Amino acid sequence: MSYLDLIHLDKAFDEAIAVRDFNLQVEQGEFVSLLGPSGCGKTTTLRMVAGFETPDTGSIFLSGKDITSMPPNRRGMGMVFQSYALFPNMTAWNNVAFGLRIARLSTSEIKTRVTELLDLVGLSDVGHKYSNELSGGQQQRVALARALANEPKVLLLDEPLSALDAVVRVSLRHEIRRIQTALGITTIYVTHDQEEALSISDRVVVMRRAVIEQIGTPEEIYVQPDTHFVATFVGTINQFPGILVDAPRGLVTNISPNWTISAQPITDGKLKNGDAVTVLIRPDEIHLSHIETVVNEENSLTAVVKSITLLGAVTRLNLDLDGHPIIVDIKTVDRGRFFLDEHVQFSFTREACSVMSDIDTVSNDI
Amino acid sequence: MCRDDELSEVQIKPGSRDMSRKKTLLFNWIPLLPFLILCLAIMILPLFFMLQGSFTGSDGEFTLEHYSKMGASIYALSFKNSILLSGLTAILGVIIGLIVGYFIFQLISKRSKEMMTALCDVTSNFSGAPLAFAFIIVLGSNGVLTLAAQKYLAWEIYPTFSIYSFWGLVLVYTYFQLPLMVLLIIPAIAGLKREWREAAYGMGANSHQYWRYVGIPVLTPAILSGLLLLFANSFGAYATAYTLTEFRYPLVTLQLGFLLTGEVFRDPGAGDAMGILTLILMGISILFYQLAARRGRKWQQ
Amino acid sequence: MAAVKKNSFIPGLVIGSFLFYMLIPILATYVFSIANRWDRSILPEGLTLEWYKVAFADPWFFIVFKHSLILSITTVFASVIIIVPTAYWVHLRNPKARPLFDLISTIPFAIPGVVLSLGLIRLYARPPLMLARTPAMLVAAYVIFTMPFMYRPVVNSLEAVNIRVLTEAAQSLGSSWLRTITQVILPNILPGILSGGLLVFAIIFGEFTIATFLVGARYKTFPMQLVYYTRRDGRIASAYSVISFTIAWVSSLIIIWVVAWGAKRTSARNSQSTKDLTTASTGDQR
Repeated sequence: MSYLDLIHLDKAFDEAIAVRDFNLQVEQGEFVSLLGPSGCGKTTTLRMVAGFETPDTGSIFLSGKDITSMPPNRRGMGMVFQSYALFPNMTAWNNVAFGLRIARLSTSEIKTRVTELLDLVGLSDVGHKYSNELSGGQQQRVALARALANEPKVLLLDEPLSALDAVVRVSLRHEIRRIQTALGITTIYVTHDQEEALSISDRVVVMRRAVIEQIGTPEEIYVQPDTHFVATFVGTINQFPGILVDAPRGLVTNISPNWTISAQPITDGKLKNGDAVTVLIRPDEIHLSHIETVVNEENSLTAVVKSITLLGAVTRLNLDLDGHPIIVDIKTVDRGRFFLDEHVQFSFTREACSVMSDIDTVSNDI
Repeated sequence: MCRDDELSEVQIKPGSRDMSRKKTLLFNWIPLLPFLILCLAIMILPLFFMLQGSFTGSDGEFTLEHYSKMGASIYALSFKNSILLSGLTAILGVIIGLIVGYFIFQLISKRSKEMMTALCDVTSNFSGAPLAFAFIIVLGSNGVLTLAAQKYLAWEIYPTFSIYSFWGLVLVYTYFQLPLMVLLIIPAIAGLKREWREAAYGMGANSHQYWRYVGIPVLTPAILSGLLLLFANSFGAYATAYTLTEFRYPLVTLQLGFLLTGEVFRDPGAGDAMGILTLILMGISILFYQLAARRGRKWQQ
Repeated sequence: MAAVKKNSFIPGLVIGSFLFYMLIPILATYVFSIANRWDRSILPEGLTLEWYKVAFADPWFFIVFKHSLILSITTVFASVIIIVPTAYWVHLRNPKARPLFDLISTIPFAIPGVVLSLGLIRLYARPPLMLARTPAMLVAAYVIFTMPFMYRPVVNSLEAVNIRVLTEAAQSLGSSWLRTITQVILPNILPGILSGGLLVFAIIFGEFTIATFLVGARYKTFPMQLVYYTRRDGRIASAYSVISFTIAWVSSLIIIWVVAWGAKRTSARNSQSTKDLTTASTGDQR
């Protein structure tokens, strides 16, 4: 058993299923994100851990103890809400002290602890202010300090940064991670922002429509997506629909314009010859070179550069091959090598391809 | 209790949880019972009995005689007067309130706007007997303004204009209608975004056209809700009219009051019928008021 | 594009006339109550506090004042006790009931005082339920009558502060129900409760119609005595008027202040709540 066990959790509201058969083992000190589009069940799962929703079936174990039916005010978990939820009738100081007073700490202990916490979140001098006098970012820090006050066993964050503006979001998420690492608190973090999840988590749970799609490290999620949805939800990906014609050799024929992609051999029997499949390739795994350069990837074709967009450190090129769009990411320093309307050679290895069945096509639910 | 943003698409699920769900459902309503019982006892049941009584003759049998009574003599007259009075004061209140509200809104200093709004707040409380009496002081037979007009303008206001007559009632009723309308219309006028006016002018409209095609239409929900609210407000008023005229002037509320005075109940069936008709009238007004107000709120965003 | 330099004539005239219309009756009442004699001339012939002395000398004054005070305060308390928890529960635990309660809270607007009195007397004044004519029944009627004025500010407060998330936050920090209610919920809906309570107080104190019909002479109230004097002695009536009106507008001002304080606390853009309070404001004193 790990530190926090979520076992076969199910939850439905009226006739609509919010969470179905959710299983997760969280180690102590681990930072796990629940990632997915709205309506996927991530917040409901978090609320079940917190105790604000009771699972219809399944159990939750914390340190080996069954807390499934324990009321939320006895679980010893700290929660940070999307809307901060600071008590408007109390100063920042008193907000943070609230849990400590419940724990009946002495006045001097409270004073020490609150000061310590406000320092930790970088807000030592605003203790006397009320929430309507603080900015969004400040309020969220106070909320974090408040949640950490009683040294919770688990820290739960429900899209804590969604209401903040972009710049604050980036800096605050790193700070949250820094504090979490320093304190070693087991953390579950809910977000719909995949960049956020990938950049600060130890593991990511990708969810969609009440079900877990994949659990893995950020790298696993990005480089080895298990499902079509994960591949397209996380980061950008090229999709090439076609027909699998030779499973042992991993050959996929494209419907048009009649090109064959050599993917990795498919030996697990999940897909058979004749199945409609999609080949998925990340933009950064496609290499560009000028025509007639010798390349040693198995797949190599020619296309026309349609647009070049600078995104920052990465420059995105949109190529076109007989109407098929192809997205390729290169380092911005290299952008001078290619020009609009130029014919270029693009290539990729077998290993860069993921082949998935076409049945599980992504609809517009993101 | 579920969060709206967490529901996935509807999927049929087994009915095994229905029992505990039904139990929770029941629990959720129990704390609401005291309030609901009170509502039932004080609002619903009495009105229900009134409804029943309005169809019951003195012999205990079903009858429509009470309602047919309503179409005649004092009852019909009372309804006519009440509707006339309420309608007139509502219209007056709306028109004058609109104009006054507009000018208050145009006041330059925020402070004076706040003071005027506070004044309206305060004066909307001045109603009923104290108000009626105040008007008697001012415009009664020996009223201040009556005497002033007599002395300085040689103008005999009284008894040509008697505060105890229909027009007196109009004057007094309008007094408590006005602030209500002003308070209602100012947020609506504030909701007329300046940009709309600028956009209209930019397209070549003049002030007249702006008001005709943009301003007034946008204000229409507020104006309508004002009309309905003021109408209902006026129709249900009792103390003011009673203080001025006692039971001499036929108004619905006064007639009802007359039926209620004395220990012996005079003609309960007629009272019930009057009551029900009043409720229907008021109910419709308030219903449409709510609808208009809701529409107005949406536009004010 | 609006006229930069306003024509100072029309706005001034309009607002001036409005002020004149609004203030003259009020002023006249106040002055009349301290006037020696005023039925022969424009200005009072002299000033005196005689009428107040006479009013106070009458033992009935204190009786009716006390009665009205008791009714008002009792109604406020009853209202708070019944309506506040109900509003909280609907908001937090049974949101499905919301539409029903929103509807119920507007029904009293459609029931004039006379009709309510009629209904209550018809139902409860027949044996064996001789309940109708008691002050207790009056308070019950008053609670329903003023229900919208308490319900709405409380609901606005609950929404402005997002009480559900606050409750969850408190629970996540280990708070018991009692502590959550006293330290988190009540302090934050206090502005709503206060302004609702003040409004109810002001309305009931000046309420004439229902009191007259339901209890009448058995439990004389301040407004009833006022009306009595309007027929007997106008000058005493004006003294009563002044007192009645003063209480009303002082309450109004306090309400305005409380609402502003509440809005500032949550820094909510709730100009809506002030408007709702004051529109269709004071029930059937008319």
